[in-house]
Amino acid sequence: MVDVELRAKRDALEYLWRQGLSGQTLLHRHSQLIDDYLVSCFSNCPEAGEGISLVALGGYGRKELFPYSDIDLLLLHTPEAENRLGAVSQALFYPLWDAGLEVGHGVRTPDACLADARQDFFFQVALLDARHLAGSPQLFTTMHQAFHRELIAGHRRDFLQNMMQHRNERHQRYGRHSYQLEPHIKESRGGFRDIQAMLWVSHALFGLQEMDNIEEAGLISIQEKETFIQARDFLIKIRNRLHYLSGRKNDQLFFEYQEEMAKAFRYSDTQGTLGVERFMQDIYRHLQTIATTTDLFFAHVDETLGSPRANQIEQTLEPGITVRQERIHLTDQALIEKRPHLLMRLFAQAGKTGLEIHHRSRKTVTANLHLVDDRLRHSKRMAKAFLDILENAKDVLAVLSVMLDTGLLTAYLPEFTPIHALAQHDVYHVFTVDRHLLQTVAELKKLSLSKTPFAGVESPHVLALAALLHDIGKGHHEEHARRGGELAAGIARRLGLTEAETSCLSFLVEKHLFLSVTALRRDLEDEAFLRQCAEQIQSPERLAMLYLLSIADAKATGPTAWSEWKGALLLEISLKIAHLLERQDLVLPDKSQGAGWMLEQVRALLGKETPVDYGILPEEYLLSFPPAEVAHHLKLRLGLKNENQAIIEAADHPLFWSVLIITHDSTGLLAKICGTLALHGLNVVRAQIFTWEDGTVVDELNVRPAAEQTYAEQDWRALGEDLNLALKNRLGLSHRLVDKFRTALRTPSQKNVQTAPRVVIDNKSSEQYTIIEVFAHDRPGLLYEITRTLADFEINIHRARISSDGDQVVDVFYTLDGFATKINSPTFQEEISNALLHIAESETGTGAKLQW
Amino acid sequence: MKKIEAIIKPFKLDEVKDALNDMGIKGMTISEVKGYGRQKGHKEIYRGAEYIVDFIPKVKIEIIVEAAMVEAVVNRIRETANTGKIGDGKIFVLPVEEVIRVRTGETGKEAI
Repeated sequence: MVDVELRAKRDALEYLWRQGLSGQTLLHRHSQLIDDYLVSCFSNCPEAGEGISLVALGGYGRKELFPYSDIDLLLLHTPEAENRLGAVSQALFYPLWDAGLEVGHGVRTPDACLADARQDFFFQVALLDARHLAGSPQLFTTMHQAFHRELIAGHRRDFLQNMMQHRNERHQRYGRHSYQLEPHIKESRGGFRDIQAMLWVSHALFGLQEMDNIEEAGLISIQEKETFIQARDFLIKIRNRLHYLSGRKNDQLFFEYQEEMAKAFRYSDTQGTLGVERFMQDIYRHLQTIATTTDLFFAHVDETLGSPRANQIEQTLEPGITVRQERIHLTDQALIEKRPHLLMRLFAQAGKTGLEIHHRSRKTVTANLHLVDDRLRHSKRMAKAFLDILENAKDVLAVLSVMLDTGLLTAYLPEFTPIHALAQHDVYHVFTVDRHLLQTVAELKKLSLSKTPFAGVESPHVLALAALLHDIGKGHHEEHARRGGELAAGIARRLGLTEAETSCLSFLVEKHLFLSVTALRRDLEDEAFLRQCAEQIQSPERLAMLYLLSIADAKATGPTAWSEWKGALLLEISLKIAHLLERQDLVLPDKSQGAGWMLEQVRALLGKETPVDYGILPEEYLLSFPPAEVAHHLKLRLGLKNENQAIIEAADHPLFWSVLIITHDSTGLLAKICGTLALHGLNVVRAQIFTWEDGTVVDELNVRPAAEQTYAEQDWRALGEDLNLALKNRLGLSHRLVDKFRTALRTPSQKNVQTAPRVVIDNKSSEQYTIIEVFAHDRPGLLYEITRTLADFEINIHRARISSDGDQVVDVFYTLDGFATKINSPTFQEEISNALLHIAESETGTGAKLQW
Repeated sequence: MKKIEAIIKPFKLDEVKDALNDMGIKGMTISEVKGYGRQKGHKEIYRGAEYIVDFIPKVKIEIIVEAAMVEAVVNRIRETANTGKIGDGKIFVLPVEEVIRVRTGETGKEAI
């Protein structure tokens, strides 16, 4: 019945907690309650006499027992007492289990204790907190003294190394995405384990047990101690409530508890931020305080005690900044006061060398933040060093993280303060806003080193600054992107950016969601809309920056925000806008820049020996092929001898086969090509048609076989021969096609007719060309007939896009009439339209040629 | 009961979702899927570099409805998701043997 009593006592404790008993007092009361209970059990157990001692370990040993924490016990015994152990453990442990408590228990002799502690670092650390509860005191003292004598004294360096290694591993394990969103307040960085790690090391290495002693010994400063204790007390309250709320030993602040906890701690919603977000902001800030303090503590202790580093030579990087033992140091306080931009230079040097900043210099930075005044925020030297870090730092995330932790970043950019440690209460944003921004800069850096489309922008510093500032407007009730754009403009001016750079930065911040949102929500086939996008974005350079920023932002948000799927949509919209920006429809000052660059590449590839007149290559053509292909085309062109000859090259691709045709322009050329391809069982899915100034035609067609056959099975030689015959007008394509498809054409279409065939003639979308679009049901030879009809009208096709999806085709032709002008006459338009409709509507091909 | 699976263009999702909500269908499963169909992927060239995307991004909506509603729902999805262009997607209707709500154990119509 003892467990009933224990249960009642713990219920009473919970009741007291509800009445306001909190923090460390609760932990002590809880420990006391368990102590009393165990001591009375032990003394009531007749077998628990000579040679047995009950010891509390771990958190319980420290009298820091959280409501549902494990109760770690050790039953220490002499070998002679072994036969009585069964009865004793039954009397002690069973009631605890029955009361629903989690008990960690061990039964060992002192020798076994030491042996185990040698093997298992966790047990070794648990023994540090050992506290005698009941039974033989000598037995405990003997073990305890032997433990300190044999395992701790003389092994201080090993102990420290072990502790630091475990700490790093734990940070990695609990630093994953899921723990960012739902922090584990025991194991995460800045959690109770970090507090304990510091205390264990102080205890084991220096015999210091309390925070006060640690401060007095000079291991941490008074300010550090105060904020540290504040953070610890806050986290204790959180953990107590979390245990009671979960009704079990749960130390992870799961989503479902966050709101409830925020309410209980009286965080209410205000305009622009949720109570729960400010609650989590405080949690993250306190975790950060503990993380930073313990980082600095370990760096200090490691230096004092650790193995001396090889390189003892001091190297001066610039006045006031040196490298010593692979750490960067600020050396001259007087110089810092005279030239406060040294604070930023320190980080610039860290970025340049890739070395860490010494912990004492980090503290120096924090201690000198009062020097960062408005004048310094306008300093050109500061700005130069800062932008240099963003653009060039070897490990930009590490440098910026330390800058944030020391407080320099928020001092330099006060706009950062409201978003510092700001959480966003959703499952999407894994990091707090400030960390997300730093992460975005790092992702951007990775992109610039990878083979990403649009990589290599002209003003990387503007882009990097945009990454750092894109969410600066958050935590406010206004729309964050617009507010961010305004804030960013202010920062840019302060940093001394040019007007053009400022407006670009402001644009990037304000529109940082534009591409991602648009790619998902808008029809990417909608040319008019794409044109509007192009007008808004204005230049290929801005588009490239926006594209890279969108990817970096998504990647830095969390694992669900970025996928190959979204990447495909983003690439599609960006390339479509890019083509509009680079090509005919929008007149831009740097329009020919791309073509000029291409020409240089082609020239370099061909060398001076090849006699080529580069002037004949139209810009649009140059922008449509890689330089190597252009060079290849030019070489093939040299092999063309007479007028009616064509050079054909086919290539195998995973999704289609490509057919390259180089020949001289002639009327009805595309019709002859399409007809010959159809005759050889190939469907054209896309065609790019270019005519050089000298009348050379370069057509690249993507084709797919109508029947199941492989690339190798296709008779490419025969195709070439037939095409050359067709070009010499020696091949009757019409009757041959009818013959070939006789059976196919006789079978009436089984498919439901869903949309009537349609012809659209559009003079608005392109400044240069008349666009003719034909919507029809597909059938063999259709494309041949359409192109032949256009040839009959002496219409030249300059570009074509043929898309087919089963029985539906949409053919888009960019055309000019026989006088190389747009087709403007309404009567002519109608005539063309009717002729094409006649073909499109016919189920079996043009009646005139099909008399069967 | 039938399961309706609709593969549609991503930008049509909101419209289709709203249309279905208007019909009283609140619950659906939505996933991002990759289409490797007739439309296939495409090669793009920009400033001399080639980019190949070998799939088409699509969205899949899955809903369970009573047999009597199938026609209306299918028609509604068709109307809403149709742009008249290639790649508007497909709708599948599949028979469903049983539906069970995990929490309550309810089955059939009640569990939809």
